[in-house]
Amino acid sequence: MSRKGIYSKLITLFSLLLTILFMYTAVSKLNHLDLFQWRLERMPYISSYASLISWAVPFLELVIAGLLWFTRYRTLALYASLVLLGSFTTYIIVVLKYSDSIPCSCGGVISALGWKDHILLNISFMVLALLGIIWSKKQYNIQATQKSVQ
Amino acid sequence: MKSNFLKLVLPAFAILLAVGLAFATEESNLPYVGYIATQSGYAEIQTDCPNLGEGYCYEGLDQVFNDSGLTDPKRTWD
Repeated sequence: MSRKGIYSKLITLFSLLLTILFMYTAVSKLNHLDLFQWRLERMPYISSYASLISWAVPFLELVIAGLLWFTRYRTLALYASLVLLGSFTTYIIVVLKYSDSIPCSCGGVISALGWKDHILLNISFMVLALLGIIWSKKQYNIQATQKSVQ
Repeated sequence: MKSNFLKLVLPAFAILLAVGLAFATEESNLPYVGYIATQSGYAEIQTDCPNLGEGYCYEGLDQVFNDSGLTDPKRTWD
């Protein structure tokens, strides 16, 4: 199998995993939107934006999950995944380090993980998004090289 | 044919799987019942502490208990 083929398959696999994650968490949040908002209201630093965040986060997750399946927007969606997961992970780390009150861990069955496992899960998905971005660029470079040779 | 499979069936599978999982694990997303001390005795509250870990569970400044007698402290998750 050519390198291009391997990169393409791996990027599709990562997109699949990220889609499952984002769809799962978005549907879990939207299914109990009032509960998600209630949890956000108790979170340090962001409680005043709870209403906005409770709509914006699941909306963004659904949009990213959709964009991952359009070749044209896939790299953008991978960047967006990295930023969204990175923001959330940074927020958790800041809360755990500097806040006295450690709030809930939210989002379906993931809530059973606890904060430290949650960070590890987020970092794992961030690595997938980052590898997806790097390999998308490599794939693009290989295609460009092949075109220039022809 | 193969391209269509990747473009249509895979995302559809991922979406269906995720939505199904979200509904199947709906119950684990719900908060737990806990009790806090008040001036008049106790109050029933909702909390996210699953009572699994070592640390004590707090809602703001109030310690959360498993029972209305406020004798069994609720624990956090780790």
